Amino acid sequence: MEADGRAILVAALARVAAGERNALQTTYRLTSAKLFGVCLRILNNRAEAEDVLQEVYVTVWQKAADFDPKRASPMTWLITIARNRAIDRLRASGQARRMQPIEEAADIADAAPLAEAMVEDAESNAKLRGCLGGLADHEQQALRGAFFDGNTYEELAARMSVPLGTMKSWIRRALMKLKTCLEA
Amino acid sequence: MTDTRDHIDPPDDDTLAAEYVLGVLPAADRASVERRIALEAGFASLVSSWERRLVPWTDEIAPVQPPHELWNRISAALPAQRAERPGLWQSLALWRWMTLTTGALAAACLAALVVFVSQPTQAPLIAAIQADGQSRFVATIDPGRNTVSVVPAAYTADASRVPELWLIAPGDRPRSLGLLRADATVSLRIPENLRALATRQATLAVSLEPPGGSRTGAPTGPVIATGRLTSL
Repeated sequence: MEADGRAILVAALARVAAGERNALQTTYRLTSAKLFGVCLRILNNRAEAEDVLQEVYVTVWQKAADFDPKRASPMTWLITIARNRAIDRLRASGQARRMQPIEEAADIADAAPLAEAMVEDAESNAKLRGCLGGLADHEQQALRGAFFDGNTYEELAARMSVPLGTMKSWIRRALMKLKTCLEA
Repeated sequence: MTDTRDHIDPPDDDTLAAEYVLGVLPAADRASVERRIALEAGFASLVSSWERRLVPWTDEIAPVQPPHELWNRISAALPAQRAERPGLWQSLALWRWMTLTTGALAAACLAALVVFVSQPTQAPLIAAIQADGQSRFVATIDPGRNTVSVVPAAYTADASRVPELWLIAPGDRPRSLGLLRADATVSLRIPENLRALATRQATLAVSLEPPGGSRTGAPTGPVIATGRLTSL
């Protein structure tokens, strides 16, 4: 998100924290399409994504005072709420919906070049992409299955036909590689 | 391929925070991580760092417009018990400060504020209700034209009379919107039959009336300030 957009959103959240419904509506107008996209990607079900999106904005209404612009970008804060709610819903539903073998989903992997720089500045996105690109294919696929499909370790192990312990090693090593690369 | 050397359970805190943000943990582990986030600031900060690292990946997800009626569902679901404290929008101090600054700066501030709510639907309307070039009240009308909020700026209470707000559409007589206060922001519901009159062509005026307001349906006392509605 551009600097101006970010400032507008920060100000709107401050007003939400003060109890202004108009400000929540503004926040909704500015961000609901992105957050709905995020919920839909994880849940793969429109009705559930709508329910979760409703929970997300009720949470924003209640928790806006917790948002600290010095510590997080407003989009990161909002997307985090949306992802957490969507993953909780996925776990509660007790069934994983995306369980096709990961090779079949591989076309998703290189689809969608960064749609729009909503979250952070273009520079840090390029860095993240570079670091992800530096991971081995199986590491990238495993991280994607978790991040975008909300798969657990067990589900990923099944999808990629490897033992659970192997999947844990892959993901943990990939995460630490990513951290090292991002901080380099 | 089957290297499991660095698969140690339970993982260290940084790894656990990363797994949580990545979204790979089962429900029970997520719940226990969330309890730790609430209780341990150090752990919470590890989680925030991973959010900062990983959440930008969601840029790959294209926005999808939610159904139109969803906002109404959300609005209806908002807990009612939450006190509506006055925010920036209704801040007396802000508006008073604005009336003291130069016109250009004040206009820029108004513009900045209006951007917040001027997205797809109708823009909110604003009027600086002035006399002698000085704002006595600042009024804002929400995008749905349901309410008008009026903040006293440079207005000193009259000992025996009360300020009443009037909406005057071109070619129409003044229509009362209600009574104002010298010491607090007032939010007035715009009667449904008057909503269509709240346009950029209309004017807001304040007259001084006997306590309780004009009994004739028209201003009876002096009109002390007026201002055109604008959406900037």
